[in-house]
Amino acid sequence: MIEYRDVYKSFDVPVLNGVSLTVEAGEILAIVGPSGGGKSVLLKTTIGLVEPDSGDVFLEDVSVVRATPAELQRVRRRVGYVFQNAALFDSMTVFENVAYGIQDDEAKKLGRAEVARRVTQVIEEVNLNPSVVLSKLPSELSGGMRKRVGLARAMVGEPEILLYDEPVTGLDPVNTAAVDQLIKAIADKRHVTSIVVTHDIEGVLRYCNRVALLEGGKLRFVGSPEVFRGSSDPLVRAFYDREAAATAAREL
Amino acid sequence: MNIITSFVRAIGRAAITTSEHAGGLGLLAWHSLVATVRGRVPFKEILAQAYAVGVQSIPLVMVTAILSGIVTSQQGGYQFTSAIPLYVLGSVVSSSIVLELGPVLTAIVFIGRVGARITAELGTMQVSEQIDALYSLGRDPVPVLAAPRIIAGTIAMPALVGIANGVGVVAGIISARLSVGLGSESFLYGARLYWHSYDLFYSMMKALAFGFVIPLIACHMGLLTRGGAEGVGRATTASVVFMIIAVLVSDAMFPPLFLN
Repeated sequence: MIEYRDVYKSFDVPVLNGVSLTVEAGEILAIVGPSGGGKSVLLKTTIGLVEPDSGDVFLEDVSVVRATPAELQRVRRRVGYVFQNAALFDSMTVFENVAYGIQDDEAKKLGRAEVARRVTQVIEEVNLNPSVVLSKLPSELSGGMRKRVGLARAMVGEPEILLYDEPVTGLDPVNTAAVDQLIKAIADKRHVTSIVVTHDIEGVLRYCNRVALLEGGKLRFVGSPEVFRGSSDPLVRAFYDREAAATAAREL
Repeated sequence: MNIITSFVRAIGRAAITTSEHAGGLGLLAWHSLVATVRGRVPFKEILAQAYAVGVQSIPLVMVTAILSGIVTSQQGGYQFTSAIPLYVLGSVVSSSIVLELGPVLTAIVFIGRVGARITAELGTMQVSEQIDALYSLGRDPVPVLAAPRIIAGTIAMPALVGIANGVGVVAGIISARLSVGLGSESFLYGARLYWHSYDLFYSMMKALAFGFVIPLIACHMGLLTRGGAEGVGRATTASVVFMIIAVLVSDAMFPPLFLN
């Protein structure tokens, strides 16, 4: 379980204004909202990449804000983070990038053959061909492939929680649908708790369990996709209609 | 009143920025030391960095050393002709190179070739979220990125300064023969006449200090980078200025501390 308790954060201007939210184990929560609404910042507070000005974030009973560096490192090992632009290490091959998701001590215990097997397995799981991509550098991959490798790297350590920061931004509709299916399949197969920050409102509503609308640093809506779609709240309505129109325009 | 207030504010801001950088550098140096002592710095990465910052810098360092040896020798010869015994040129050239030009010019080359590259590299990693990715994977960027570069710089710089000193003096000997007709025996006689073994030690102390400070500042500035490609450009420029000032200020502190 992940719990955000009254989280405030500002970078000159307020970005998060007292966000309180609980994400249950095994749940897929979508966080949607306009750009600059604080979605990615909230996601980064989950593993201490951004420290809240006040409030706290709990992973089970561990406070991310008050954790010592060693505790924070342990917390981070339980979480996989998929970055918006994949954030692959430029100087490493795909194999090295993905294998880097396994901690050194664990990799030593597993041995080279087992590490290679795990890397190959997650690469296959994200629908990439290991014999084609493993020896390539990130610069030799397409945007969609890079995102999948980023996802593979986040998964290889077998985390309990997966955090997705704009996993489909910049992808064409075919790749968007493929990544959406992948997120759902991984959550089902591995029983991981997932938080997906996205602008692809139609896509995420098809597979998430709950949706949260974050606007102006405040949560304006938290509920099921069905309630979100049918909401009569003018703010939710306006956002949903705007994003649905934008998605339709992109698909055209 | 407004001018006074603005002036005081500017001083206050400068003091805060300086303190923040000093604190950041101190922490980075401390964390790097701790990571090194605990054996958390990958040896393979130190070797790779030593090759990139050391071996690959040799050609440029040699060109700079040859030119500084030639210029020092020619200008000294021009001033000494008909005024001072020419063999003194040997001492002037070798002392200038070993005590000052070798370490400082090598440091300037190192800043341009290595320091700027480190800041741009780490800055790009920062703005493209690769540093965040390291944290998210439970890795600490200090032993993985900063410490290998700092260790490699501290090892490579004395070697580079040693090469620069040797090459610079040899260039000075050849230049003295060609420009003022001073033979190599006379040049070396002059060089030996005023030579102190301590000078070489002094030169190496400077090299060690510069070799530590340059990558330390470069890593610090790289890890502080914000704001996309423009931010990387700004951080790299600021880093180069910061490194040059640090080298020149620490160079100015060496004579009163170690030569008196």
